[in-house]
Amino acid sequence: MTVNLMEVRDLTKRFTAPGGPFRKARVMHAVNGVGFDLARGRTIGVVGESGCGKSTLARLILRLIEPTSGTVRFDGDDLLAKSAGEMRKLRARMQMVFQDPYSAIDPRYTVARAVTEPFVVQGRTPDPGEIEALLTMVGLNPGLASSFPHQISGGQKQRVGIARALALRPSLLVLDEPTASLDVSVQAQIVSLLEDLRSELGLTYLFISHDLSLVRYFCDEILVMYLGRVVEALPDTDRPARHPYTRTLMESTFAPDPAMRRVIAPLEGEVPSPFDLPPGCAFADRCPNADALCRTDPPALERRGGHPVACHHPL
Amino acid sequence: MTVLSVRNLQVAFGAVAPLSGVSFDVAKGETLGIVGESGSGKSLTAMAVMGLLPLAGGRITAGSITFDGQELTTLTEKAYRRLRGGRIGLITQNPMTSLDPLQCIGPQVDAVAVLHLGMTAREARARTVEILGTLRIPDPATICDRYPHQMSGGMKQRIVIAMALAADPDVLVADEPTTALDVTVQAQIIRLLDDLVKSRDLALILITHDMSVVAQTCDRVVVMYAGRAVEQGPVGDIFDAPQHPYTQALIGCIPRGLDDGARLTGIAGTVPTVLNYPPGCPFHPRCDRAEEVCASIVPELEPNATGAVACHLPGVAP
Repeated sequence: MTVNLMEVRDLTKRFTAPGGPFRKARVMHAVNGVGFDLARGRTIGVVGESGCGKSTLARLILRLIEPTSGTVRFDGDDLLAKSAGEMRKLRARMQMVFQDPYSAIDPRYTVARAVTEPFVVQGRTPDPGEIEALLTMVGLNPGLASSFPHQISGGQKQRVGIARALALRPSLLVLDEPTASLDVSVQAQIVSLLEDLRSELGLTYLFISHDLSLVRYFCDEILVMYLGRVVEALPDTDRPARHPYTRTLMESTFAPDPAMRRVIAPLEGEVPSPFDLPPGCAFADRCPNADALCRTDPPALERRGGHPVACHHPL
Repeated sequence: MTVLSVRNLQVAFGAVAPLSGVSFDVAKGETLGIVGESGSGKSLTAMAVMGLLPLAGGRITAGSITFDGQELTTLTEKAYRRLRGGRIGLITQNPMTSLDPLQCIGPQVDAVAVLHLGMTAREARARTVEILGTLRIPDPATICDRYPHQMSGGMKQRIVIAMALAADPDVLVADEPTTALDVTVQAQIIRLLDDLVKSRDLALILITHDMSVVAQTCDRVVVMYAGRAVEQGPVGDIFDAPQHPYTQALIGCIPRGLDDGARLTGIAGTVPTVLNYPPGCPFHPRCDRAEEVCASIVPELEPNATGAVACHLPGVAP
């Protein structure tokens, strides 16, 4: 058994927008050379703004979409070398919870059928009482088993999504913004449930979110993404930022305390288009510390005398 | 100086009353936050203030809204039209859908000054360019000839703010102005609204579900739950010594609001929908302080030292 449940190296995904009579085909760099190790029982948070490639990364590491290049190892196995049949078997051990519980569950399926579906896919029949046990585990009344999605609340639907992901006893759960579409009081319930499940079942999580304060609360390590690249890998959640983008992200996150009001120097400018990446550091145009080197030479994710950061002039 | 005042507002759609017992005042140069989860009636309150309820099939059944000494609940639609977008501006939640996709930015903003201030097209355009400039939009004259799809979400939200400001309003109602935006853009927009309140002496009603946004921007806060104002007061008191169990629970749901090692608890159960509002205090089924009286009698919003609270058993958390 390896220490790392998952090892990702130089993972890249480019999408091509087809051209037409009036437009050339364009290449979009969604994920660009991403690498990390996810140790057993740990939780890595991936944080970034919309369009930074975090959801694409989630889909890539479960091989829901095929990467352009790079490797993904799960428990020592090279995922990208697996056949479709082998992949299906492996997927029992790696599951995903989707952002929008409203569209992740078939509206014509009852709760029981939605939770049974993973067993069907794997050619198994759940043991008697197993579905009820799963519903109880995620805090749902087993009496809801015969309900349809429209009869239950958003928070309950997300619990169904979690029950379904846990049905086959996976080791890894990829959580793609699992609370983004929920109210704060329900978000806190779901986060608390995920914390309990993590310790009870010894799960390993990859937690994707745009909410830095939630990631800092919930995760052991943090990857900060900007325009398809990891710009900083924080080995714990209290570490001060070394990348100017991370620092801005931290400063832009409001503290829920009126006594801690501060003047934020908001980031100027916009995120560059992923179709047309600048030659140097993608953040250079918005960065107060950028110089000529930053505009010509993309910085690699390196230690540079501290935790890994992709910046020529780390803070 | 209080410019807009809402008293005991009640709104009905047919036989259901999704909103009742909402009262607040907002003064010039002040930001009032209205905070609550989805279904708490925050947006409905905004619609009532804007006189937009008839569009959705609702009506005000009790209470009053006074603006600058004038009663709004009895105003004719024609008279309301002069106020709405004129002296009371609205910033909507989703900038992606509140601009006309088929029209350039310039004419959309110009129209406000033409309609409300009686300007000519040329004067209105000069004003549009000036306002876009004060909102730190680069190269405003060129932006006027752009279409909404050519701009980012943050830029579109600035255009929506420009439209709300074009007629120089006294009151600005902002309904979740940053919910659809990324955090770095949210910080820019919130900072901008803050500056506007101070520089233009605006009264801002900021509707949000995000307690952190409230903490950073508001002077006073109204907390809503299931169509009622359950607590209000100065922002410092609401965060330091909340009296209503719901306010306390809501603060406990914010990851950053916790001490080290403390855990998020959430609030058991879900927000009731308008069709199943419980009798008595709307929060009692989820409240761990609830007693018999809470299940039968609706608590009134009672004033306290600095604000008001609607709870039979108010007090700071034990």
